[in-house]
Amino acid sequence: MSRIVDVPAQFDEQGLDQLATAIGAWPPSDRLFFDARGVQWAAPYALIGLLTAAQAITEAGGEKPLLAVPAADEVRSYWGRIAFFQHAGGLFEFHGKLPKARGTQPADSLLEITPVRATEDVHQVVGRIQEGASRILAGELGLEAKATMGFAMALSEACQNIVEHAGTGGWVAVQAYNYRRRLGRRVAVIAVSDSGIGFRRSLEPTQAKRYGDRWRDGTALEAALIQGVSRFRDPGRGQGLAGIKRYLQRWQGKISVRSGTARIAIVPAWDDDVPLVEELSFFPGAQLQVTIPAQEAGTT
Amino acid sequence: MIETIAVARVLREAVTTPYLNLVTRPTGVAVRGRIESVLATSEWETAMLDFSDVVLLDLSCADEVVAKLVRMAQERLGRVVAIRGLDEHLWESIHAVLEHQQLAVAVLADGSITLLGSVPCDVQHLFNTLEPATPLAAAALSQRLGWSDGRTAAALDAALGLGVCRRATGGFVRLPLA
Repeated sequence: MSRIVDVPAQFDEQGLDQLATAIGAWPPSDRLFFDARGVQWAAPYALIGLLTAAQAITEAGGEKPLLAVPAADEVRSYWGRIAFFQHAGGLFEFHGKLPKARGTQPADSLLEITPVRATEDVHQVVGRIQEGASRILAGELGLEAKATMGFAMALSEACQNIVEHAGTGGWVAVQAYNYRRRLGRRVAVIAVSDSGIGFRRSLEPTQAKRYGDRWRDGTALEAALIQGVSRFRDPGRGQGLAGIKRYLQRWQGKISVRSGTARIAIVPAWDDDVPLVEELSFFPGAQLQVTIPAQEAGTT
Repeated sequence: MIETIAVARVLREAVTTPYLNLVTRPTGVAVRGRIESVLATSEWETAMLDFSDVVLLDLSCADEVVAKLVRMAQERLGRVVAIRGLDEHLWESIHAVLEHQQLAVAVLADGSITLLGSVPCDVQHLFNTLEPATPLAAAALSQRLGWSDGRTAAALDAALGLGVCRRATGGFVRLPLA
């Protein structure tokens, strides 16, 4: 017996929250049937989140979920070109027509969905991104050349969080697109997701005692992102997220990190997101999204 | 003596990748290990890390390679680590990790020396006033800088602690990098 979980039509950051709510208690006791037929638009963040959900179900010993693929040709084709189906093949049982071949990577995609399991993967990801990042950040988003270095650094640190803290593999994707809904400008987005132990469990051995009853997903995210706390005692640790924050402040970028039942964000002036949301529906692991907007004339 | 380390070459030896990106903490650990092996067999006073050809340096490697070597040199009195050949776009990574740990390093670029990291203003002024070959006594430094002797002494202590100047016969010199 399977239970249908609707994948939201606008499958973005909020769409992934809706998906978590639809999944309900974790781990799900029923076999899940993800129905993506009605999806009209999907962000890389949400697509790697969907992969993460399936990976976490498998790792929890659940039955391989079913996935009804998007009905719209162009949506299905995009999912194919960004390599979603390539990686989803082992995680889902598909229902519906898959695109014939993966075809060319989308023109705006800097990095199609790529697994991150080990240090070597981070080297590959950072190496592959550099040429395209320069073209898009400097050429299309109007950022200075040095922004490309910071972008690659942010990508490296974000991916390393998976390798060092998750305890399992994860996914990364990088894309530029027009962010009409909130910004009306082009953005470059780094999306990273894993199905690992999450921030609360990662920091628990060294931090939980300090917080006592207040220790939960939200406080763990605050400790990591705002205070730069690390589970390691080495004074050089805990600098990765701090470095990403510094980079984003310079380019009016946004970072949001979801883990467990909470999401924290450093919110730039152009966005109206809230800094901390708690009591969300549980979602496994950690999801990170970095958004760099095109610079307005005269801001660089 | 100055022991120059070609970091890009060490990176190539340490990691099998077509890219000259100094990224990830395990890579930094591997590169630092190789550098330490070189230094262990050398009579070095200054370890010059030559970053020529290194394309990218992330914070994890800035910590593992630069900060940890700077700290190691600091613990061995009289020894210093310096940098050259580093793309200016990558200075910020090093500055950030050193500042966080109250460390500093000198970077040679275009014939001048810049201090990165946790460098108080007085130390920066003192460093700019010192000469690499001709020792200046504390009293002479106070006079040149227009400072009290106490202020000069405090700045010298801080500069010695950061490893950006050293004692010499007759006074103090900025760290010799050539």
